[in-house]
Amino acid sequence: MGVRVIIKNAETGANVAMDLEPSNSVQEIIDSIAMYWEKDAGAYVIRKGKKLLKGEQMIGDLGFAENDEIELIPDPEGGI
Amino acid sequence: MENLRPGMFDEDRMERSKRISWLDMDRIATTKCLVVGAGALGNEVIKDLVLSGFCHIELVDMDHVVRSNLNRCVFFREGDAERKTMKATIVASRAMELDPAATIISSVARIETYDVERFRSFDLVLGCLDNIAARLHVNSHAYSAQKPYIDGGTNGFRGKVQVVVPPNTPCLQCAMNRTHYRVMQKRFSCTGTDVSYFEPKTPAEITTTSVVAAIQVREALKLASGKPDKCIRNLMFYDGLNGTSDELEVEIDMDCPMHKKNP
Repeated sequence: MGVRVIIKNAETGANVAMDLEPSNSVQEIIDSIAMYWEKDAGAYVIRKGKKLLKGEQMIGDLGFAENDEIELIPDPEGGI
Repeated sequence: MENLRPGMFDEDRMERSKRISWLDMDRIATTKCLVVGAGALGNEVIKDLVLSGFCHIELVDMDHVVRSNLNRCVFFREGDAERKTMKATIVASRAMELDPAATIISSVARIETYDVERFRSFDLVLGCLDNIAARLHVNSHAYSAQKPYIDGGTNGFRGKVQVVVPPNTPCLQCAMNRTHYRVMQKRFSCTGTDVSYFEPKTPAEITTTSVVAAIQVREALKLASGKPDKCIRNLMFYDGLNGTSDELEVEIDMDCPMHKKNP
């Protein structure tokens, strides 16, 4: 059964809802939402509460409830 | 009976550190650190390591100083940019002025030339890098050598620190997904050789750099003092704009090459 989650943009604070199926992966969320927000081609991760979600994890395995919030975070790779 | 003298508590440069009971200053002084990268993070990490009492450091970087480094690199000067001085050389030389007891070996080289055996000669590895490919090299080699790796990264007001203590914690690769590999692949052609392409410069400023570097060195102090249980266990994200930091749980990924090799 599908579930609607709220995705927060860590950089802007903006929110958007996304309808997900159990067969969707975290990686698909990252790719879709980065494209929707026209993000730079950088590295991003998604957190759910205090957990960093792995790209290959499936939504059906993550125990999402309706309107759960997850957050897209740019992964800082600079240092020079 | 012990004899006291006025001012005697100000004669030892590490006297104030020794007042912190959990710091093991003897072990800190003998810990061998490898610092990878002599840019903004590398400058701050080296400064903090030396002032904290680390005396045996090797610093590796292949690049030279440019003028746009000067707003966030404490050891660089205008003349270094004009002369295109090698970063590792100048940081090592100036940082040793902070404490004559410190020995900093500078290595003008790519970290990819360091093999696992070389990593085994250090007690701690600190990553101050600006790209995923080099991070993965350090991650895999430090892991294979079973040496703790403290990685730092920044992007504008954002930063992160991850502490990898083999074999007990997740490694950098456990926390990566396809977006990381896409960024990395842009640097290489299909034959694996470097290619030229336009890469937007990462925003960088000194306050975030200082915070992230300070956290890296604090974690190094804990490890050197025999307090690995006090270290960041997962991945710490810092958001300087909102003044927040969060430690996010990362699971060991059994499909990650590091953990397949070292189950």
